[in-house]
Amino acid sequence: MSGNLLHRPPILRRPDGTGGALPALTLITLFFVVPVLALLLRSVTEPVPGLQNYAILFGDGTYARVFFNTFLVATVVTAVTVIVAFPVAWMLAIMPPALGSIVFGIIILSMWTNLLTRTYAWMVLLQRTGVINRMLMDVGLISEPLPLINNLTGVTIGMVYIMLPFMILPLVGTLRAIDPMTLRAAALCGASPFDAFRRILLPLSLPGIAAGGLMVFVMSLGYFVTPTLLGGTSNMMLAGMIAQMIQSLLNWGLGSAAAFILLLVTMALYALQLRLVGAKRMTGGI
Amino acid sequence: MKLILTGILAGLLAATAAHADEMVFTSWGGTTQEAQTKSWAAPFEASSGIKVLQDGPTDYGKLKAMVEGGGVAWDVVDVEMDFAIKAAKDGLLEPIDFNVVPKADLDPRFTTDHAVGSFYYSFVLAWNKGAVSGEPTGWADMFDLTKFPGKRTFYKWSAPGVIEIALLADGVPADKLYPLDLDRAFKKLDTIKSEIVWWDSGAQSQQLIASGEAAFGQLWNGRVFALKQDGADVGASWNQNMTAADVLVIPKGSKNKASAMKFLAAATSPKSQAMFAEASGYAPINTAAKAEMPADVVKSLPDAYVDGQINLDMSYWAENRDTIAERWYAWQAK
Repeated sequence: MSGNLLHRPPILRRPDGTGGALPALTLITLFFVVPVLALLLRSVTEPVPGLQNYAILFGDGTYARVFFNTFLVATVVTAVTVIVAFPVAWMLAIMPPALGSIVFGIIILSMWTNLLTRTYAWMVLLQRTGVINRMLMDVGLISEPLPLINNLTGVTIGMVYIMLPFMILPLVGTLRAIDPMTLRAAALCGASPFDAFRRILLPLSLPGIAAGGLMVFVMSLGYFVTPTLLGGTSNMMLAGMIAQMIQSLLNWGLGSAAAFILLLVTMALYALQLRLVGAKRMTGGI
Repeated sequence: MKLILTGILAGLLAATAAHADEMVFTSWGGTTQEAQTKSWAAPFEASSGIKVLQDGPTDYGKLKAMVEGGGVAWDVVDVEMDFAIKAAKDGLLEPIDFNVVPKADLDPRFTTDHAVGSFYYSFVLAWNKGAVSGEPTGWADMFDLTKFPGKRTFYKWSAPGVIEIALLADGVPADKLYPLDLDRAFKKLDTIKSEIVWWDSGAQSQQLIASGEAAFGQLWNGRVFALKQDGADVGASWNQNMTAADVLVIPKGSKNKASAMKFLAAATSPKSQAMFAEASGYAPINTAAKAEMPADVVKSLPDAYVDGQINLDMSYWAENRDTIAERWYAWQAK
């Protein structure tokens, strides 16, 4: 037996990993590829064969609004996340490693807490009779509760909070790789701190911002829990609309079509991300 | 392909289905399902030896998925009546075996070939006394932002109730509500849209009113009843209260159909219905149940407020469910 093995041509002996990947591939095929195909099939066969579901989705003002909302929320959330995450990531990058790992731990810990719990916590904080409004009214800063929930503000606050780690992590990596001497050099050449940030730090950290930003954007597109709980009905996003079509309207054809469009958009963006990351690698950089 | 897939899905769902001598009862959770468990399931388990597993919340999409895939994990489901009429037409439900379920005393308004009543309820106007100055007296007050400022809460899903409320507030006489004038209803709702907070579950409606997050709302009377029992400072107006019903159905292909029929017989018996009404504040659908109940409880039920009461038209809704729903969600998303 063993002799047999030794005499095999080398190409057959080389471990190419396909055998080990088989269970995972089967799992993905069975529970992802096949259902997605079923989804696609449903979207063009229910209630009658044809593309009518897609025609409805693209032809109707309501659905156009939901698509617009989805992209609006994802864009706003991504922009705010970048702005909030950047200083944190920079701090983490230049901190002494011991302290840095503590802050890092806190950030990771928040990711491990249940999403629903965190979103409910925001509800308690943001509602009209919630902690934030009560406090502001007690100290006399406002006389009427601020509308912090059931609108875009609520959705943005809740989602930015959840997305932060996904922005901070890639950004820290990029920022750590930037040679601090470049900033010192800029200062020596007379650049103001703002100039150094705008002309040195920001351009150098762009790959990290792009990677994190795309990740946050793509994740935001398909978000369901947070927009549903912290937004109003006029902030409905695609995922919420799909759930409504499937659960309440029982219109699975239309729901499947919407889900398939969401999947396509997500995949396209993912491909873009791969290209960006790939390009970054090719330049041999960071 | 589709068949294989639904088959796989169904198999997964069915893996959770009950064994022999067990059945699964699915309802909406919260105080209502607690009362159903206590008043119906527990005595039924004791007398029949059939174990009743609880599941929930009711999800029409899931119900449809189970029936179409052939892996039905739910044996008895509490659903809204307009859904039951539509679902029966779509072939999603088992016909009720009235040889097992005694029909004589069941309120005919809530009994069909494929459903028996679960309980019936009224939508009433409820408010947080601390958040409202004065006393609202009818649905029209919910549309009066000057006299009654503040957030108001309505049922989020497309279902009988809110459209009718808007039409009544706009001056449509109660006997001229149907067919519903949707344009007029949405125009009226537009006037208060920015002040509406939607509730999507009974528990949320209670939380919104109890905390004052919404000053008033259209609530199920049983939820107001439970709030008052908990000592919350809430008021309620039964003026033009609107009745609708939940019914019990058996999804087509239920694995424990015989047990499910027996459960229906037990749940709709006068005694079970009386117990549930006492625990929940909802009205019994068995006309003989009242004889089993204390007089003061009978006085608190929707039956005691028939003056000006409006019966929401379930057949009209079942017929027009999809068209109304499309407009409803489109309007909400605007």
